[in-house]
Amino acid sequence: MALHRTCDGARRRDFLKVGALGLSGLSLGNYLNLTQAGEIRSGAKAKSAIFINLPGGPTHMDTFDMKPDAPSEYRGEFNPIDTNVSGIQICEHLPNLAKVMDKFVILRGVSHTLAAHRLGSEYINTGNRPLPALEFPGYGAVVSKELPTRPELPPFVSIPNTAQRPGYLGVQYAPLHTGATPRAGQKFSVRGLELRNGLTISDVERRTNLRRDLDQTFLQFEKNNDLLRGLDRFSQQAYDMITSPQARDAFDVSQESPEFAKMFGESPFGQSCLLATRLIDNGVRFVSISTGGWDTHRDNWNNLKTRLLPPFDESLAALFAGLEQKGLLEETVVLVSGEFGRTPKINNERVGRDHYPRAMFMLMAGGGISGGRVIGASDEKAMGPLNEAITPDDVAASFYHALGIDHQKEYHTSTGRPVMIVRDGHVLPELFS
Amino acid sequence: MQLRWLALALGLSLPLVFQATSRAETIPSIDQRFDENCTEVPDFQRHLLPMMSKIGCNGRSCHGSFQGRGGFQLSLFGYDFNMDHKGLTERIDTEDPLESYALHKATNIEEHEGGERIVKDSWQYHVFLKWIESGAAGAEKPHKLTRLEVTPSEIVFKKSGQSESVNVVAVWEDGTREDVTPLCRFQSNDTSIAEVDENGKITAASVGDSHVVVFYDNGIYAIPVIQPVSDQVGEKYPQVATPTRVDELVVEKLRKLGVVQSDVCTDEEFLRRVSLDISGTLPTPEQVLAFVKDTNPDKRSAKIDELLETPAYSAWWATRLNDMTGNTVNQLNNVSYDNNKVAQEWFEWVRLRVERNVPYDKIVEGIVLASSQKEDETYEEYSARMSESFLDKSCQTFAEQDSLPYFWARRNFQNDEDRAIGFAYTFLGIRIQCAQCHKHPFDQWTQEDFVQFQPVFNRTRYSQNGTNREEYQKLLASIDVDDTLRGNQLRRELAKELKKGKTVPFPVLVDTAPRRNNRRNAKANEQTARMLGGEPFNLNEFDNPREPLMEWLRTDVQDLFARAFVNRVWSNYFHRGIVEPTDDLSKANPPSNAALLDHLTQGFIASGFDMKWLHREICNSRTYQLSWQPNDTNIHDERNFGRAVPRRIHAEVALDAIAQATSASDKNASYQTQLDGRAIAIPGSAQGRGGNNYALTIFGKSARENNCDCERSTEPTLLQTLYLNNDNELLSSIESRRGWLDELAREWKVAAPSKGNADRPKNYEEVIARYEKYLEKVKKQGDAKKIKEVKNRLQAYREKYGDPDGDSNASQTAEVDAVDYEEAVQTAYLRTLSRLPSESELATGTEAVRSAETPVVGMRDLLWALLNTKEFIVNH
Repeated sequence: MALHRTCDGARRRDFLKVGALGLSGLSLGNYLNLTQAGEIRSGAKAKSAIFINLPGGPTHMDTFDMKPDAPSEYRGEFNPIDTNVSGIQICEHLPNLAKVMDKFVILRGVSHTLAAHRLGSEYINTGNRPLPALEFPGYGAVVSKELPTRPELPPFVSIPNTAQRPGYLGVQYAPLHTGATPRAGQKFSVRGLELRNGLTISDVERRTNLRRDLDQTFLQFEKNNDLLRGLDRFSQQAYDMITSPQARDAFDVSQESPEFAKMFGESPFGQSCLLATRLIDNGVRFVSISTGGWDTHRDNWNNLKTRLLPPFDESLAALFAGLEQKGLLEETVVLVSGEFGRTPKINNERVGRDHYPRAMFMLMAGGGISGGRVIGASDEKAMGPLNEAITPDDVAASFYHALGIDHQKEYHTSTGRPVMIVRDGHVLPELFS
Repeated sequence: MQLRWLALALGLSLPLVFQATSRAETIPSIDQRFDENCTEVPDFQRHLLPMMSKIGCNGRSCHGSFQGRGGFQLSLFGYDFNMDHKGLTERIDTEDPLESYALHKATNIEEHEGGERIVKDSWQYHVFLKWIESGAAGAEKPHKLTRLEVTPSEIVFKKSGQSESVNVVAVWEDGTREDVTPLCRFQSNDTSIAEVDENGKITAASVGDSHVVVFYDNGIYAIPVIQPVSDQVGEKYPQVATPTRVDELVVEKLRKLGVVQSDVCTDEEFLRRVSLDISGTLPTPEQVLAFVKDTNPDKRSAKIDELLETPAYSAWWATRLNDMTGNTVNQLNNVSYDNNKVAQEWFEWVRLRVERNVPYDKIVEGIVLASSQKEDETYEEYSARMSESFLDKSCQTFAEQDSLPYFWARRNFQNDEDRAIGFAYTFLGIRIQCAQCHKHPFDQWTQEDFVQFQPVFNRTRYSQNGTNREEYQKLLASIDVDDTLRGNQLRRELAKELKKGKTVPFPVLVDTAPRRNNRRNAKANEQTARMLGGEPFNLNEFDNPREPLMEWLRTDVQDLFARAFVNRVWSNYFHRGIVEPTDDLSKANPPSNAALLDHLTQGFIASGFDMKWLHREICNSRTYQLSWQPNDTNIHDERNFGRAVPRRIHAEVALDAIAQATSASDKNASYQTQLDGRAIAIPGSAQGRGGNNYALTIFGKSARENNCDCERSTEPTLLQTLYLNNDNELLSSIESRRGWLDELAREWKVAAPSKGNADRPKNYEEVIARYEKYLEKVKKQGDAKKIKEVKNRLQAYREKYGDPDGDSNASQTAEVDAVDYEEAVQTAYLRTLSRLPSESELATGTEAVRSAETPVVGMRDLLWALLNTKEFIVNH
């Protein structure tokens, strides 16, 4: 097998050897320095992660970064309410989240410059500002590469789909898309795992036996060929996944107890959160949820209070509570983000707000991040960060940090270019204090 | 050192040594020249930098790091002479050389994180010291290296553990020859075959072949290193057939290696392989049977010709050319009024040329020299033409035009640097991105080469507002849209007008005029540019800066231009390119068979870049038609084409194969001629960050985003196997109401497998009745479009849950014993594995059908099992 040489002169095989020491290509001295500076922490608490994407770009000013004293052309019609953490207020249409404010952190004054949906989305789904000629891997792809999981489960599941792609890491880190969201109380099946069309386990066994009987052409030769050996290994793994109830059960939210399931509500987003909780509980490493509709150029407030915020509030609060009830919150880091915020100044003509990346909010919880805090701040009209901006790169570095993944670890793209997992970010120390 | 000369004199390449001595005198190696008493002045470029490079000073983890180390930065892998000279001279003392800080650091007198790199009183020490003493001159006028002469030029080992040392002579432009062996860096491309130490001593590790690469200045030389895998070498090599030049060249290499080719594959194997490779399509059962029966001795060659005429061939190769040129919907914003349309026009433009077998260089010319506006055309006329062709759903109007300007419109192909990288990737198969920031470690390119190549791309842009602002405004004013609108809002309104048949302004590809001085009639400023490896020229002498670029492809780098394509085509027919990775034709990554690649490259050029010539030349070789079954000599060799190595079929081909294998007979027969709905004919990437085709994505269709051939993947993954095992798409394909299984059920007069019955909604009959009632109503209204729509919906609903023709009363109790299941089992094999089953397979298959709950359920299981064999998903 040919060695892949890399742009910086290291041959991949050399690189792997260094990587095997767990130092990810850093020299030992370098590593110790970073450890002392608190940059690398060996005792990371999170083992798995949930990323909730809010495509469209939710408004920050009407949700988690309210400015009740701003002039009327900025302020918006909603009022803030107190939360269970004194001094922190959020929107009145988020009453459930207000009751669990102590579980999560609000990041305010997160800021970047990409006001187009796709570019912004690529940025926040990878933690790297997009480059035209290089596709960065999404969080889930990196996590499934870095943190191996049980073979009978897919490491990276997206509900129902995700903007996160494996990028330069290659197809083996692609997510399993569920393609649909579960419906309350109903059996949920996912593509490739569920027995459909009246198939039974014994049907599958019969077929599989038949396949084994017939799949003899390359017999004796398999051991000498990576491809054939790989196909055999995956066949066995797929068979285990399909026939053992474990994987299927992991997806079947109808098996949750009714009172547990009830708190998530019946909305598609709520059921997605319930499924995410269940998958994490069963050992899936990374779950992404995508719930859209936040591009409120028109009729912002009406949409928010009737359509968008109530299910979001109910279900996200339930996710935090649910993870905690199952004892998973401490070891699961949760990140919630859209691709940008929305213009602080109201678009009166359309009663809406437009794209605005200079100030946005994100939420983080679990994985050793103690909740009940606001980190960062925006200025008085929420036009930009008050002091130093938090960048999506910083959030990415922190997110990986919570998982014990060194965000400065270097991969080599298939053209041999060395690229750090997060190219520009710094871990936000406040998150972990 | 005397020993090495002795070793060389006794070595394998005596002729070369004599050749060397007959020319100008060669300066002996530096380690023999430098000691305390030496008076020679070392040269910064020729001696000092290579020496520092060799001892590791400018490596990435040391001073070559972009952050420097200990405040001292050198250019990574050297070749930025000014920067390196400046950095060094700040750390030396020419007045008191022995007290130079850099010397103290290198000898670790002053504590050095990198430790002792130079031992006191070694030749390295004296080179460094003499350089300082002599005034530490830099390299204001760099020397030009002509070539490296390496002896021996090839090494054949007899057994593991044997060693041989190489000698390297640098030949400079002024004729100076110097033995630079101690200044070279050496690297083995496969340490499991051979190891090399820092003195250039190569030691055989195991059988097989690889290269040891020598680096000095910007020179790179790869030495083939071989250890035969058997004793069947040279005269002991068996008599083998080499019917074509390709075979002769492949066997010439194998003869050195002691690898004997496998036998020729069976007709069935050949037909499946060649159909998948040329046309991305499985042969039909009828084709398989006819081909096996055919007694024409030239039938394989005839089949190749036949396949090259199919629509499927043109679609599949258009797809491959679209991979290389990066046709992806995501990167085509604001090029027209519909990204998908642009991708489709792009695909059709290429497909039409593949169909007509337009020479490859002509196709490239249509892309590189593309212009949007024709010469005699005003902007308004151009927009009118584009507006009209936008409405042509077939895209043929567009495809017939001479140019494909969209390559230049890609979002990831806008700035000069991305263009330099992308252009080199697409047309030359090289990776110059390393040289964007530093000397390329595995190729000759320096950062300067990169920087001087960039300006060539600077004047070309895709303009939203036409060639001329006034014309654009005039055209815009003639359309009834709100003139305050901008950006996307304007585009949306214009798109509506366009669909009504109005002429709207279209973006154009323009080459801006060179900058001129302020004075009128002044001559254009000079803009120096240099093609990679070429001489500087004034770009501003060209009205169209892309003309010298195309000219360059046709002349100076014609060989590389052809070679890159030839190698990529070869890799479609084998499990790897002759150079692998296929887009890394660097000097340090030599072909596994240079003579073979040369032959194909020269032949391709001589044929006038005739793509079909190339396909025929490869496919008609015995080498292409070898069996996958290995023998003792070739079982471990995957570099030299001694047998067919199984490979997973490409994403699009796999999905088409599944669909074709399960489709009804008439449909099955149409795959090579009908492109409707075929995955190999999808324009764009079909797995954009927006749209998503799950199956194509997990099977590794290229995303066409990253300037890398590796974006197309044929690696197996778990999700692929899950898909084949149990994905609803696959299961539905087997059980489709329009599929082969359903056809069999009808033929056998038994119920189709219970697709609908389990899923069928309880109110199925009710819904059907509702549809029918509604259909009556719209029929009365006489709206043809509506009638069609309702009919389609009704049909779709019936297909999903019921029976398309209402024939749901087939009896399960019909006489099934009379049916010949063996024939069905054979057809299942032909549909999937393109061969007849063996006797035992036939028995197993027939038994499975007979013993199943119903024969159709048995056939369903059999079809499933065959689709899930390794034999189905690999091309072998």
